[in-house]
Amino acid sequence: MVRLITHNLLACHVKGCTSNNFPLEFKDVQVVLRESEFNPDFLRGFIPKIEWTALVGAARELGDTSLPDQPPEMLDDDFLKTLHHVLLEIHVEEGIMICPNCKHNYAISNGIPNMLLAEHEIG
Amino acid sequence: MAPAVTATAVAADAPDTYEEKHVHQIYDSIASHFSSTRYKPWPIIAAFLANLRDGWVGLDSGTGNGKYLPLPADRPGRVWTIGLDRSRNLLDIARTAGGTGAFREVVWGDVLGHSWREGIFDYAISIATIHHLATHERRKLAVKRLLSAVSPAHGRVLVYVWAVRQDELSKRSIPGGSSGTGQDVFVPWVMSEDKTQVFNRYYHMFDDGELAGLVTLAAEELGLAVGRPSTCSLKGVEIVQDGWERSNHYVELRRWQTEL
Repeated sequence: MVRLITHNLLACHVKGCTSNNFPLEFKDVQVVLRESEFNPDFLRGFIPKIEWTALVGAARELGDTSLPDQPPEMLDDDFLKTLHHVLLEIHVEEGIMICPNCKHNYAISNGIPNMLLAEHEIG
Repeated sequence: MAPAVTATAVAADAPDTYEEKHVHQIYDSIASHFSSTRYKPWPIIAAFLANLRDGWVGLDSGTGNGKYLPLPADRPGRVWTIGLDRSRNLLDIARTAGGTGAFREVVWGDVLGHSWREGIFDYAISIATIHHLATHERRKLAVKRLLSAVSPAHGRVLVYVWAVRQDELSKRSIPGGSSGTGQDVFVPWVMSEDKTQVFNRYYHMFDDGELAGLVTLAAEELGLAVGRPSTCSLKGVEIVQDGWERSNHYVELRRWQTEL
């Protein structure tokens, strides 16, 4: 599954590709929206780990422009619901993720990203 | 009576192709039947997951059918575990693990890969997985990947592997006995619908003390002190539990760093 919660954690791991290897760029995506249960306590705990700029950029690549450029200081329910939707309800079912540095392509098929590398490609 | 476990020797020049043939291809072939036999979470693993904090994210490295992804059961969605596995067919099952209609996050990858922001996870588990790696070096690298995946300040890790020492109820008898460095064996998987279909899965079965030794080596190669938090070192990992239950060895680890 590639939702933006996972995308925000993934980085390219090709041998020698150690800088500018995050975030992966989406291309040719098919997206499905699925409702999921809202958990504000999860979100409050997860926010400090989010790379915010990467999340905003990735959401915009998927056509969602609801997030502000900077996370707000007040984490009210309206904001948390917006964040919940972006992180957990947008499913990238098909497509490609491209490393911004080495341009390696990671394919997504049936909602599952292929992060496998050949033995000699692993750093 | 289960078919006998037999000794094997790993072709040391190409452990990756050995694993491909004797582990990865087999799990893709038996995925559905295998999954139907793996649904009960083990108590120590469930307890580990029950003690995680709201908002934490973790990695299940070798998630198989994803049976740990819905836990902790009493706080669904408060903790997110992302499942990684080498078997695409098992991931298709893991994707909806738990049977509630909820989708899980799963990634097709190898436990020796590291396709993550370093140290980003709060916890990592690797259950019945590292014993499928065909050399000591590769098993050690797998532990290093787990230690590097979790937070240097508070990351928790739980690893389970199969033991040479089997409990009394085990149907298995292990050839060779205890050697100190474990046993390389084939463990047959017999398909339920056609018992002439037998798949010999490769396992490295761990001897007593071997898993803690492997973790210690892996930690030291990462420059981590092994032991309780102390001011003598800046960063380290504590072995919180080192145990054996029901034919498995397990270790629970916690990373720590000293504030300057």
